[in-house]
Amino acid sequence: MVEKTFNREEFDRLAAEFRYIITDIICRSGSGHLGGALSLVEIIITLYWRVMRINPENPGWPDRDRLVISKGHAGPVLYTALAYKGYFPVRELVTLNADGTRLPSHCDMLRTPGIDMTAGSLGQGLSAAAGMALGGRMDRKDFRVFSIVGDGESDEGQIWEAGLFAGHRKLDNLIAITDYNKLQIDGATKDILDLEPLADKWRAFNWDVLEMDGHNWENIYETLGRAVEMKGKPKMIIAHTVKAKGHCVFENKAESHNIKVSDEKTYREFVEKMKVEDFDWPY
Amino acid sequence: MTGPTEMELHEKEMRQVYGETLVEMAKENPDIVVLEADLMKASGTTVFKQAFPERFVDVGVSEANMIGVAAGLSTLGKVPFCASFTPFASRRVYDQVTISVAYAGRNVKIVGTAPGITTGANGGTHMCFQDLAIMRVMPNMTVLSPSDAYELKSVLNWMARHDGPVYMQLIRGREPKMFGDGYMFSPGKAVALSEGKDVTIVSTGYLTRFAAEAVRILKTKGISSDHLHYPCIKPFDVDTLVNSAGKTGFVITVENQSILGGLGGAVCETLSEYCPVKIKRLGIPDRFGEIGSEEYLFAKHHFGVADIVAAAEEGIR
Repeated sequence: MVEKTFNREEFDRLAAEFRYIITDIICRSGSGHLGGALSLVEIIITLYWRVMRINPENPGWPDRDRLVISKGHAGPVLYTALAYKGYFPVRELVTLNADGTRLPSHCDMLRTPGIDMTAGSLGQGLSAAAGMALGGRMDRKDFRVFSIVGDGESDEGQIWEAGLFAGHRKLDNLIAITDYNKLQIDGATKDILDLEPLADKWRAFNWDVLEMDGHNWENIYETLGRAVEMKGKPKMIIAHTVKAKGHCVFENKAESHNIKVSDEKTYREFVEKMKVEDFDWPY
Repeated sequence: MTGPTEMELHEKEMRQVYGETLVEMAKENPDIVVLEADLMKASGTTVFKQAFPERFVDVGVSEANMIGVAAGLSTLGKVPFCASFTPFASRRVYDQVTISVAYAGRNVKIVGTAPGITTGANGGTHMCFQDLAIMRVMPNMTVLSPSDAYELKSVLNWMARHDGPVYMQLIRGREPKMFGDGYMFSPGKAVALSEGKDVTIVSTGYLTRFAAEAVRILKTKGISSDHLHYPCIKPFDVDTLVNSAGKTGFVITVENQSILGGLGGAVCETLSEYCPVKIKRLGIPDRFGEIGSEEYLFAKHHFGVADIVAAAEEGIR
């Protein structure tokens, strides 16, 4: 673990700013994947502020920890973290989805500084993360590879191909997190394609499995810390989260997956209540 | 008659050359890694596993994961060579190759073995006639189909040096010696195998030796052919084709693939834009494969040596 300092008020404030910015840049662009970005705010902040070994001044640092967001549509939450960490100017966040932007809805390693893998076609990122973990072992490097998969994404067969592979290879430098918000585009995961018993599945694939409240700072940090230290198997952390967590309209609603904002009135309805006191817009 | 009669076969199978060349290259380049999806013996890479066990990754029967793992390895500067039977190295993993490799700009080499009718007794499920077509419409992808052991070796050396995704067809068996030790592969360049004025015959991969045989027979009948071999389907050598078509006014394409979208497609697209001439496409006419000998399939789909000769004679008349 990297940074031990933690101040709840500061982190709560940071999370609120994240939620406001994410909502605002998505709504300004007219549409976007709100729910699956807001469900990851505390996890992404903890990874970038307290866990991952990174160097924003040298995004390609060979010994850095990697993060593969396999659910590539969560771009906006990652972009917000990367901007705050200095990979690019915060004011650039407003270019989300704009013509010629470096910040497309889905993560693109060729466009955005700090993105370790392109993703968007669901199910593929975890294989790439496993490849990075395997390569790290080949090169006797001690970097860790983190990967975030969606619960809906876990319907894809390739997730389980990667799971079988990483378990077989005992890639203990791979720490995956399932964003288990229990909602996918067409409804509840238990109704569309039930993943349960999810923890048992990953254990059966020879992974160590941990569970955490994906919105509880201490629980996230403590669980990630334990996962990093555990040896011998890849780790799956099942993060119990709430889709569109903290949003004034969309919290825990499946339709938050990809929202449309067609006029000024809707924009205000979705954004106004998300504003943070004494927060100067950086753009 | 369907096959070449005069050319001497190379002593090694193409897959053996593939495996041995990977080992040779890997001795010089520590970044080369080899991935298989439970077809190591069919691809000829057992020798690589023996030489570099720590750089050999068998993912089991999971081609999609193989492509993703290769993409991940490439982010660390590795140069992964991934192989499977042609249908499983192309159409089965088309989205993985598109997004995790080509769109993501990854330096991953994908090798489809036993292309087209050469898969023989595996039959229709394993006979892929569209891999050149679907791979050449993918931005950022280089598409190759070498014809003999010398060309294969040179192509592999180029692939290892080239920073970018490549798809290559790999014939498994022994092939005639079309070229020699001095052969140097040039990306984006056709290879003129014979010069003539009556017809342009364009071929690639497995069918080049059959086309060469047809050219010899045509010569005995007083018909001279420009025979252009295209080891590189993409990027496509436009100039050589246009110059030849302008000279002969008649082009025949021959390939171990569907006549839709592959070499024939590339030739038609090019010539209709730059030099419209009469074209005859030989290959599989929009049909699935089926179990059967090469002789049977050549005869059924009319793209063997005798068919090339007949097409030339008919087109010139």
